[in-house]
Amino acid sequence: MELKTQNLVYEYDSGTDYAKRALDGVDITIGKNEFIGLIGHTGSGKSTLIQHLNGLLKATEGQVLWNGRDIYSAGFDRRELRGHVGLVFQYPEYQLFETTVLKDVCFGPKNRGLSEEDAICRAREALTLTGIDEKYYESSPFDLSGGQKRRVAIAGVLAMQPEILILDEPTAGLDPGGRDEILGRVAGIQRETGSTVILVSHSMDDIAEYVDRIIVIDKGCIAFDDVPVRVFSHVEELEKMGLSAPQITYVMHTLKNAGFNVDTDAITVKEAVDSIMGQIRPHF
Amino acid sequence: MFKDITLGQYYKTDSVIHMLDPRVKLAGTLIYIITLFLGKSFFMFIPAAVFLVSMIILSKVPVSYVLRGIKPIIPLIIISSVFNLILTPGNVLVGFWIINITSEGIYMAVFMIVRLLLLITGASILTLTTTPTKLTDGMEMGLRFLKVFKVPVHEIAMMMSIALRFIPILVEETDKIKKAQMARGADFESGNIFKRAKAMIPLLVPLFVSAFRRAGDLAMAMEARCYHGSEGRTRMKPLIYARRDYIAYAIVLGYLGLMIVMAVFGV
Ligand SMILES: Nc1ncnc2c1ncn2[C@@H]1O[C@H](COP(=O)(O)OP(=O)(O)OP(=O)(O)O)[C@@H](O)[C@H]1O
Ligand SMILES: [Mg+2]
Repeated sequence: MELKTQNLVYEYDSGTDYAKRALDGVDITIGKNEFIGLIGHTGSGKSTLIQHLNGLLKATEGQVLWNGRDIYSAGFDRRELRGHVGLVFQYPEYQLFETTVLKDVCFGPKNRGLSEEDAICRAREALTLTGIDEKYYESSPFDLSGGQKRRVAIAGVLAMQPEILILDEPTAGLDPGGRDEILGRVAGIQRETGSTVILVSHSMDDIAEYVDRIIVIDKGCIAFDDVPVRVFSHVEELEKMGLSAPQITYVMHTLKNAGFNVDTDAITVKEAVDSIMGQIRPHF
Repeated sequence: MFKDITLGQYYKTDSVIHMLDPRVKLAGTLIYIITLFLGKSFFMFIPAAVFLVSMIILSKVPVSYVLRGIKPIIPLIIISSVFNLILTPGNVLVGFWIINITSEGIYMAVFMIVRLLLLITGASILTLTTTPTKLTDGMEMGLRFLKVFKVPVHEIAMMMSIALRFIPILVEETDKIKKAQMARGADFESGNIFKRAKAMIPLLVPLFVSAFRRAGDLAMAMEARCYHGSEGRTRMKPLIYARRDYIAYAIVLGYLGLMIVMAVFGV
């Protein structure tokens, strides 16, 4: 399984006075069992890029290749592709429409041509993965809390069992508790299903802990595409793009400048604590 | 795409016509339309056409834009001229089966086509040079006298502006929900009419839910800012007539006078 973009260019309102180039020559390759963070300042083109990956937007120039086949070529079934590349939009709770939670989650699998029973089976699996309690299965999705709605909506895409799961800012508008819950669930899904997950965000702190590859997009171009540690070493460039390294990176750099021999590559709070404790202990 | 809908057909440029008070333009358009129905002869259309062409030139709107407004009513024009052509009694020129084409029919058909074209083009000059917001403002101010008859003029105008304001938002929202459901494998394009109608449910339910949510939010936000209808409400940009508006009124009235004189003397 491989999803690849080649010199992807996209212009909104192409050919009019309002034409706006949102993507400008994007080349990325997405493989199996990856956990990727897609990061960029607001308006950098993240949402635009991911809508090409399942063929919702048609590139102005360039190609998207699914296992080597051009998804815009005649005869390519883009609806089928959307089952392989699952896309969860920003604020996905606004797409819920069915009378019960379970039925809503079944919508995707049924569109893939599954029978009623198979669809329900997959829906249950997906709801379990997103942590929705069985007692909610028969309630109206409109009666749930914001965070629960969002998890139901994510389950709606997950139930199609996509090989690549893309989530556009899944934590937008949630409190820290809801944020950690969702991100934890997503990380769990990635581990358990072994599928590739692309997490879109504009906050490094959100994704640094989880992902093992970070793609930074700036004004429609790919700025960095590397492992987190190496991306974070470009603090100045990131700041010029309106981004920042995780807060913990700043703490570690400050400590280092103050004369402590701590590990500035620490990304998570836990790594940082270990590193700092390792420095302090000998003094006791 | 939704930028087109927000502005209606509004064409942005600076011309005398654009600067006129919307009330003048509304009244002018109304008078112009009435004059098109004053007479029965082609001569009546000459001053109307001259008036219209001068407005187009003054408005600086490219002719291609003006003509674009005609496109959607072409079917209407065709249907009405066909009816005129075959249903007008008189001197039969060609006749077969129950269809008789008369010379009067041809005259009437051409007459109606010219009248409709002048009418639509005139009306589109109004929308091309006035933003929907200004139009509603103008209507509110112009119809204020109806308050005497307990017509809630301000409230109606406010509803119109809110509706206009929400069109682009709803268009954008529709697009988003549509894409989200397509990402879940929904198919809006294929199948027969029943299948397609059913496929709209996943689109319409969330759209209505969000429209009501937005309406509720907006009502709350308006109340939080002490909105209480028209009573004692002042405007940020009050409509005030300038000298050019009086001149425009004079021109429109002059035109109306000419047309009345022509109609009375049966030219
Ligand atoms: N429907 C649209 N019509 C016109 N321009 C658009 C449209 N959607 C996005 N754009 C423009 O394309 C650019 C990229 O937008 P995009 O939504 O991909 O950004 P983003 O990185 O997802 O931002 P955010 O973090 O705010 O979601 C922006 O400059 C935006 O103004
Ligand atoms: Mg976005």
